[in-house]
Amino acid sequence: MKRYVYINDDNLAKDIYCDNRISNRKYTILNFLPKNLWEQFSRFMNQYFLLIACLQLWSLITPVNPASTWGPLILIFAVSSSKEAWDDYNRYLLDKKANEKEIWIVRQGIRKLIQAQDICIGNIVWLRENDEVPCDLLLLGTADPQGFCYVETAALDGETDLKTRSIPSACMGIDVDLLHKIKGVIECPSPNKDIRRFDANMRLFPPFLDNDIFPLTIKNTLLQSCYLRNTEWACGVAVYTGNQTKLGMCRGIAEPKLTAVDAMIDKLTGAVFVFQIVVVIVLGIAGNVFKDKQGRKLWYVQYPKEGPWYELLVIPLRFELLCSIMIPISIKVSLDLAKSLYAKFIDWDVEMVDPETGIRSNAANQAISEDLGQVEYILTDKTGTLTENKMIFKRCCISGRFYGNESGDALTAKVGQFHTRHYPKMKKPLYVLLLVCAWFWRIKTEIFLILTSMHLQCNMKYLTLWSSHLTGKECLWWLGNAKAGNFSSCQKEQMKLFFLLPILIVSGQQVRTFAEAVEQYAQMGLRTLCLAWRKLEEDEYQEWTSMFKEANSTLVDRERRVAEVCQRLERDFEILGVAAIEDRLQEGVPETIEILRKAGINFWMLTGDKMSTAIQIALSCNFVSPEPKGQILIIDGKTEDEVCRSLDRVLLTTRITESESKQDVAFVVDGWALEIALKHYRKPFTELAILSRTAICCRVTPSQKAQLVELLKLCDYRTLAIGDGGNDVRMIQQADIGVGISGREGLQAARAADYSIGKFRFLKRLILVHGRYSYNRTAFLSQYSFYKSFLICFIQIFFSFISGVSGTSLFNTVSLMAYNVFYTSVPVLFSVLDKDLSERTVMQHPQILFDCQSGRLLNPSTFAGWFGRSLFHAIVVFVITIHSYAFEKSVMEEVAMVAVSGCIWLQAFVVALETNSFTIFQHLAIWGNLVGFYAINWIVSSIPTSGMYTIMFRLCEQPSYWITMILIVATGMCPVLALKYLRYTYRPSRINLLQQSERLGGPILSSGIIEPKSRSSLDKDIPTDSVYEPLLSESPSATRRSAGPTQRLDSVQSQSPPHSTHTRKDN
Amino acid sequence: MNSGTPSSSAAGAGSADSIAPRRNSKRPKYSRFTQQELPACKPILTPKWVIGTFLLVSVIFIPIGVVSLFASRDVVEIVDRYETECIPETLRNDKVGFIQSDRSKTCQRTLRVPKNMKQPIYVYYQLDNFYQNHRRYVKSRSDQQLRNNGSLQDTGPCKPEDNTAGGPIVPCGLIAWSLFNDTYGFTRNNQQLDVNKKGISWKSDREHKFGKNVFPRNFQSGTLKGGATLNPNVSLSEQEDLIVWMRTAALPTFRKLYGKIEVDLQRDDLINVTLENNYNTYSFSGKKKLVLSTTSWLGGKNDFVGIAYLTVGGLCFFLALVFLLIYLIKPRQLGDPSYLSWNRNPSGH
Repeated sequence: MKRYVYINDDNLAKDIYCDNRISNRKYTILNFLPKNLWEQFSRFMNQYFLLIACLQLWSLITPVNPASTWGPLILIFAVSSSKEAWDDYNRYLLDKKANEKEIWIVRQGIRKLIQAQDICIGNIVWLRENDEVPCDLLLLGTADPQGFCYVETAALDGETDLKTRSIPSACMGIDVDLLHKIKGVIECPSPNKDIRRFDANMRLFPPFLDNDIFPLTIKNTLLQSCYLRNTEWACGVAVYTGNQTKLGMCRGIAEPKLTAVDAMIDKLTGAVFVFQIVVVIVLGIAGNVFKDKQGRKLWYVQYPKEGPWYELLVIPLRFELLCSIMIPISIKVSLDLAKSLYAKFIDWDVEMVDPETGIRSNAANQAISEDLGQVEYILTDKTGTLTENKMIFKRCCISGRFYGNESGDALTAKVGQFHTRHYPKMKKPLYVLLLVCAWFWRIKTEIFLILTSMHLQCNMKYLTLWSSHLTGKECLWWLGNAKAGNFSSCQKEQMKLFFLLPILIVSGQQVRTFAEAVEQYAQMGLRTLCLAWRKLEEDEYQEWTSMFKEANSTLVDRERRVAEVCQRLERDFEILGVAAIEDRLQEGVPETIEILRKAGINFWMLTGDKMSTAIQIALSCNFVSPEPKGQILIIDGKTEDEVCRSLDRVLLTTRITESESKQDVAFVVDGWALEIALKHYRKPFTELAILSRTAICCRVTPSQKAQLVELLKLCDYRTLAIGDGGNDVRMIQQADIGVGISGREGLQAARAADYSIGKFRFLKRLILVHGRYSYNRTAFLSQYSFYKSFLICFIQIFFSFISGVSGTSLFNTVSLMAYNVFYTSVPVLFSVLDKDLSERTVMQHPQILFDCQSGRLLNPSTFAGWFGRSLFHAIVVFVITIHSYAFEKSVMEEVAMVAVSGCIWLQAFVVALETNSFTIFQHLAIWGNLVGFYAINWIVSSIPTSGMYTIMFRLCEQPSYWITMILIVATGMCPVLALKYLRYTYRPSRINLLQQSERLGGPILSSGIIEPKSRSSLDKDIPTDSVYEPLLSESPSATRRSAGPTQRLDSVQSQSPPHSTHTRKDN
Repeated sequence: MNSGTPSSSAAGAGSADSIAPRRNSKRPKYSRFTQQELPACKPILTPKWVIGTFLLVSVIFIPIGVVSLFASRDVVEIVDRYETECIPETLRNDKVGFIQSDRSKTCQRTLRVPKNMKQPIYVYYQLDNFYQNHRRYVKSRSDQQLRNNGSLQDTGPCKPEDNTAGGPIVPCGLIAWSLFNDTYGFTRNNQQLDVNKKGISWKSDREHKFGKNVFPRNFQSGTLKGGATLNPNVSLSEQEDLIVWMRTAALPTFRKLYGKIEVDLQRDDLINVTLENNYNTYSFSGKKKLVLSTTSWLGGKNDFVGIAYLTVGGLCFFLALVFLLIYLIKPRQLGDPSYLSWNRNPSGH
């Protein structure tokens, strides 16, 4: 699909394309209520509660006042819809502000001020400096004579540096006044969300230029929401407007993520619902039978001889209502409250604040903290995630000589001096190339150091030409352009420079040295750049330029064609040298990975880097244990057959080693082989993925990253994806949990992610502390919610057997409502402060996370335990109540209150027994709740019109009431305590064992004790010894073995202890 | 950040606000609460504590049990089941027919006092298998009408005993309609024993639930006659039998206070009861009992609490002993790290 935009012809476009009205709103005033209600009622729980509430309106069957369900229901609905409404209103205000912004456009050749929402496709929009771009524009003219302008794209991709945009060559040199009258047609793709591509063509109508087709790229566009900077004015033609802009198309509503715990709760709720239906059917039948056998003989009940047609349904429906409390209406509210507190704890955590930048952790998605505790696979990006993404020029190899050693800052001077002396001819091309690459890799400061030392005078302004977002090819193109441009101003002689990212395979003796250098550097975990150049003759350049232009203006398959053309130029290079850039590991990465691997989490590294670098980084950050324990298996191959054979071999080895379970196997696969494996050998690859705890995928694309996440998710694993750059966004969104590192590559990943953290090392705290606690707390909270609902529901059921199976409610409306809303919700809410083990113990024994991963604290069998406990407690409360309040004391209201008090007392002790650590809040909540219970009931009992007038005072005066309470608590709790004690002492869970050793102060011995390393201890622990092996002394063949012990040593050193960083900074 | 732009809402509703603080990079406020480092007490179940708790429970429970049991045993109770005995033997084949007939239903019973009974002696009637808690029954009353003179018409929940041709029934509903109507007269040695029927209902009921100026109307005037009739000239707040009856029982077996005998009874006294056996429990084979009982601090005669306390106390003592024995025979080091599975199997999984 294509769209044709006619410049300056607003009559045509108006009907076909939408105007520039932006709407992020979900609702309008009219559809708010129905749409919102519809959304809320699409959830099963809400449908259920609504059905119950509606049934309660039928007074024939309702056991209690309908308010007991309607009240909470309306409250829940009101809270969530007013939140929605408020969000939507704010969105509306933002939209309105953007839509009513005044913008200069050209209509009928005259400049006019209109509101942004009235911009049509084809309108020419004028912007001044610091204006926001109102819609996607194709740049036509700028104040700059070279046709450049600068934009800030932070709102789009989070990158804060300015980017260069240029007008298409066709519009070069058109007079400002003529721009008003410019006519032409732009052929561009239909609206899409790719903010990196704009493959379009433009043809200007005469008299501007003859009918030549000009290619357009994203470089020629100004996208909505960017800001025009450092440019006096710019104008452009609107190509996409309103919600069809690139930004508008990107604005997908992310699907809400459902945690494993939520899924389990839903499943259990479903089971409870089925159980409830069974109970209702059984009791309904029993009730009808009793009615016919016995009920009609009870003259005082006056059953009519002939009932209405629905008579048989009445009793089952009554029981449905009585049992409806089995599914607690409060669980949703409690869980939401708890979850938002978990998220707040993450936000508040000072230990997860990046000390360097002050960036704090943030939980953007409040609903999935429990999943953090159940992570089984972590898929991590390398650059910027494991490493600092701070490129430091470390070593280089020029003309077969190696320079550079560990102490980095000496490097620049040394190379510089050396070079000026011995290779005066070489220096300029090399440094200019380095400069270009510097921009590409964004290592500005480092290279400028060299620059200044070399007295290379360069105009800063033009350096921005090679700003960071050029890919290798584009860089090439820019350099080509620079020939005509101002590059010459700093280089006297005219020349064209080229560099290539991939390692060159050129014949000749010298090349071998460079190839070895590249290999060596890569094995040290450095990023390598091979620098080469060639002089182009003028005619060769011209010929190539025209081919390049042609290729660049194709609409179909542009990338491939450009690549082909570029390849024609990439030959006969003279290699200048190899530069190696270090991207250091972030602080604490190896420890974090080791701890998390001990916690049973499998790590996959997905990187765009080359294999040897990836493997080296993997070794240095504990991804794979060094040999002989660790083993790296490589899947490679160019053809299907090769990949298949390789995959089979790896799979076989993995199977064997897994069965021995002594070895640590990792497989390595590159993007190409991965593509084939995923396409044709999905099954064996999946098996391998399940078997192998570690994988390294190099040279993978963003979509492959997402595919791998999908693969693991299909195997039913909980996945966490962590990354920092725009290329990780898809993976982050795909994974169950997306974690973004607010790093140097902008905020794109952090913004798409559910959690954003400042440094990779915070991940262990996020998972082991926050994730684990969240899971444990939710597991307790949710099961407890069911427990207390079952408790009161069972009592109602038992009571129905002594009330002629007629569906009488023992409890009154007030008690039922307050039971769910206050009495039993408040104490348990404070279990969000509960900590079963201290953070330190968890860090020392990360293996304890197994219990969370395998869902040991919330599963059908634990749920059955709670079910049994509630059944037992219901029997205790009921039997004791009806026996001690028998005969003359069996007054309905009194018996009901005794039973309710019994439940409240029992549940207080249950919460107390299940609480692992009591803070002052828990004491207040648990025991204060009991006080609150009596206070509320005394208040209600003092209202003469209430049904329970004087009841509570009367009860509290009776010694038998208190004696009954003590009896209920003791009878209910003693067996529970005894069982718990026996299990705790004689069949302790791992959590119990750690609790015991933690609290008895005994020695906590673990075979693999990992102390979380502080900054200061890091220096001591890592051997920063001086046994530095010069690179050159190692023969290349020795370095082939990627996991050798010397390599290990070297890789540790490449982490470079922190203090050296500071000294370097001082420069 | 340009949070005012439409773009910033692109990433979803929350992004605009969530990014702002990140950029400001405010350090979160430190408090022990936000860091989840509140001082906490972390008890664990050590044998000492658990065995101690069970011992303590048994030490407390057994005496309470004994005291409760003694209190219950001190209560002297005379129970006389009369629903069958009070029907002439010849008519026992058709009890329902008898009770619905107009024959004289007066019946004489003799009770022997087993022990000295101190006044006040409570006179109860006990009904078995009578579902006062039946849903149709328990809802069939109008508290409004009972309380206010102005709410005569408030008979909504009272169906089918709500209205007659002569207007609304006061008190309406099945509960009032089925008011118990057996009467008892007591003589000892041919000397009348007075039964005080004042103050048998709850004071709060008389004062707040049943109106002083609400009088019975159209009561038992329908085609179907239920239980007792009420004197239309006595206000509801003084109809104590009704007030007692309308405190519905939660169990199908219940006792309701009939009156109090305010003289002591001696052991082996013979008490003659003249009994009007009017109430129909025969159609649903319910039992009727007359109960004379003294009271204790725990209430009436009820061994359940005492036995339960003794049982629980005994069980706890037993458990404490068992735990102690296990602890002594098979001591186990708490928190022994060698039990940790990953210490047994170093390779983890």
